[in-house]
Amino acid sequence: MRIMMLGASHHGVNVDLREKLALSGEALERAIGDFRQRFPSAQLVVLSTCNRIELYVARPSVDEPDADQVRQLLADHCGATLEQVTEATVNRENDQAVLHLFRVATGLDSMVLGEPQILGQIKRAYEYAQQQGTVDKALHRIFQQAIATAKQVRTDTGIDEGRVSVGSVAVDFAHQIFEHFEDKTIVGIGAGEMAKLTLRHLLRLNPKQIWLVNRSLDKAKALTDQLGITGSRGGARPFDAIDETLIEADIVLTSTGATEPIITAKKFKPLLRKRKLRPLCIIDIAVPRDVETRVGSMSNVYLYNIDDLRKVVDQTRDDRSAQIEQCEQMLFEAVGGCMYQIQHNDVGHLIKQLRKRLHDMGEIEHDRTLKKLAASDPENISDVLEEHTQRLINKILHMPLSQLDDRNTEAPLGFYAAALRRLFQLDEDASVTPEKTDEKKSTESSPETSEHVSPNIPRG
Amino acid sequence: MDPLTTITLTILTLLSLAASGVAIRRIKKAEPDEKLERRQHLLVGLTAAGSAGLFIYRWMALNENLQPVTSHVDGLLLLTALFGLAVWYLTDRNRMPGLAAFAMPLMTLVLAWGICASSFTFQLWEISSIIKTVHLVGVYTGTLFFAVASISGGMYLYVQKQLRNKKHPEKLGRLASLESLETLIIRTATLGFVLLTIGLVTGLVIVTSGPSVLGEQWWFSPKFILATTVWLIYALVMNVRHTTSFRGARAAWLSIAGLVLLLATFGIVTAMSANADAETTTMRPIPAPHDVGGRA
Repeated sequence: MRIMMLGASHHGVNVDLREKLALSGEALERAIGDFRQRFPSAQLVVLSTCNRIELYVARPSVDEPDADQVRQLLADHCGATLEQVTEATVNRENDQAVLHLFRVATGLDSMVLGEPQILGQIKRAYEYAQQQGTVDKALHRIFQQAIATAKQVRTDTGIDEGRVSVGSVAVDFAHQIFEHFEDKTIVGIGAGEMAKLTLRHLLRLNPKQIWLVNRSLDKAKALTDQLGITGSRGGARPFDAIDETLIEADIVLTSTGATEPIITAKKFKPLLRKRKLRPLCIIDIAVPRDVETRVGSMSNVYLYNIDDLRKVVDQTRDDRSAQIEQCEQMLFEAVGGCMYQIQHNDVGHLIKQLRKRLHDMGEIEHDRTLKKLAASDPENISDVLEEHTQRLINKILHMPLSQLDDRNTEAPLGFYAAALRRLFQLDEDASVTPEKTDEKKSTESSPETSEHVSPNIPRG
Repeated sequence: MDPLTTITLTILTLLSLAASGVAIRRIKKAEPDEKLERRQHLLVGLTAAGSAGLFIYRWMALNENLQPVTSHVDGLLLLTALFGLAVWYLTDRNRMPGLAAFAMPLMTLVLAWGICASSFTFQLWEISSIIKTVHLVGVYTGTLFFAVASISGGMYLYVQKQLRNKKHPEKLGRLASLESLETLIIRTATLGFVLLTIGLVTGLVIVTSGPSVLGEQWWFSPKFILATTVWLIYALVMNVRHTTSFRGARAAWLSIAGLVLLLATFGIVTAMSANADAETTTMRPIPAPHDVGGRA
């Protein structure tokens, strides 16, 4: 069984091309259907996310498809040309392909090191392939092992722990201050891109209300509409309403482009009493800062600026980088185990096939010999049996020895010769015995083998 | 004095100390550690169950007329058993993560106090009426809730300090949020306040209805003044949500101050009772010596 991964990812392929290469919805269904039709004995799982498109294929060693055929299949069903697909994709085989999947599942290949979403995406891709009937033993084992190993590695090394975005760190701080958010009010001051990104994180807390205050009310309204903050959930307010809004707030996110602080200690102190000293979490991601440092030392006010949040993010990244080596070692061992199991199963299957084929040959010769024996003189029994043995040996050796034909320049003759010596325990220097020479002669004279076998290759 | 009580209390103190160590180690570790969590849970459970078992043993096997609380060590055992169970419940399934790190050291101190109370300052109480039983149970269970409020207060101040130092919550060992700690302070202080009020009212009935160890002018006695101060502090803590100036850290500090005063009151009361016993031995009937001999 051969395993192949053909794919493109954020490593070296820009987002425009990744979008073209992506397979989802009907295109994915069509591609899988086409694959099944073209390569019925092969297995396929397609992992298509915003950062990567990867096709994992398992096929019997001598069967199709090869990498070019998979590229063609991808080009037929995605929005890119074959040239683009060829240029963008990389191809990995066997251990390397499996190791790649294990690394992807663990988040080692992700844009954000250790990010956990990819594991869910792999699970979904695998489940989808199962539904489509393109997964058999080999890919079952590889994907199940990849998912289990990724979980284990994440638990043991903590590679996915910690926050890697300013927004998620802000949410963590809010969580340490407040237990529930369904009765809390979040106030955003400023309506820029950073505000939008961080507000998206805060929206996941499902607060009671969100108010957005901005110098341009239209811009604030546009952002609240974009984030789906309407009706009783909150909305936009003019900049003049900042004081009343701060009295209501439990969490404040500031990100204006103001050159001077907009929340000063002098201005905020009178609001504290009106707020009845309710705890307030202020996230100031503006540069220069929107909130005076002294505000953070007031009673029940917790102020975090962009530097505080970035420090946590940088620390997390450093921690994760330190875990990479340990992860790689664990994955390397797991891939070794997985490949051994696949090969072991493969060999088991191979032995079954070989036995069946030899048994079939034996049966044919057996029937033929029986008929001959019935018709022949009892004195000739020995000759009939000798012929039976010779025919059987010739039939068995015909296929393997035909591969050793030195007219076949593509064949790895050295490898085959070494394999034969190993499998049949043949001594390189051993001379051929007279009996074997006779057999050799007899084999050469056999009509079933003489056609393909090179005369200078020993056949004993 | 009963040697079994002292030996068991020593073992329980060591168990509680071990639970404190494990709980503190847990919150110092940034990553969750299931092994430590299980170990902490087991140690807290064993300490609580051991305290409850010893309390029941003393109640059934040693105390006169099946009275549950007949000495200071009984009261402390009741307190540690209930306190241990409360901590065990609150830390189970992460209801109040990190609480054990603050609660178990206090439990260790109370158990160590129990060793002293059983070995060195053993003293029998006269439980002559229902009113006195209600008084003692009210005061002890009230103290239990105040102890939880105080521990939550300590934890609140710790978490707040770390947040002010901008320490990321993941590095805090996943402690409870400030909001849930404040809620716990308010709830336990409210329950403690109700029970302490019952204890104080029954105490007033006791001192006004006959000869008292507090003397004629009992309203000037340190016990009465301290107990009233404690009651006022908790009345304040209980109402922090309705006032503007006693929220957050202030409520936490008050809950700690309340418990310290309450424990001081216990100490003074024990000392006063010992003095009064020496002076008025003839006034207070002491139980039959067959039992005392086994314990003292």
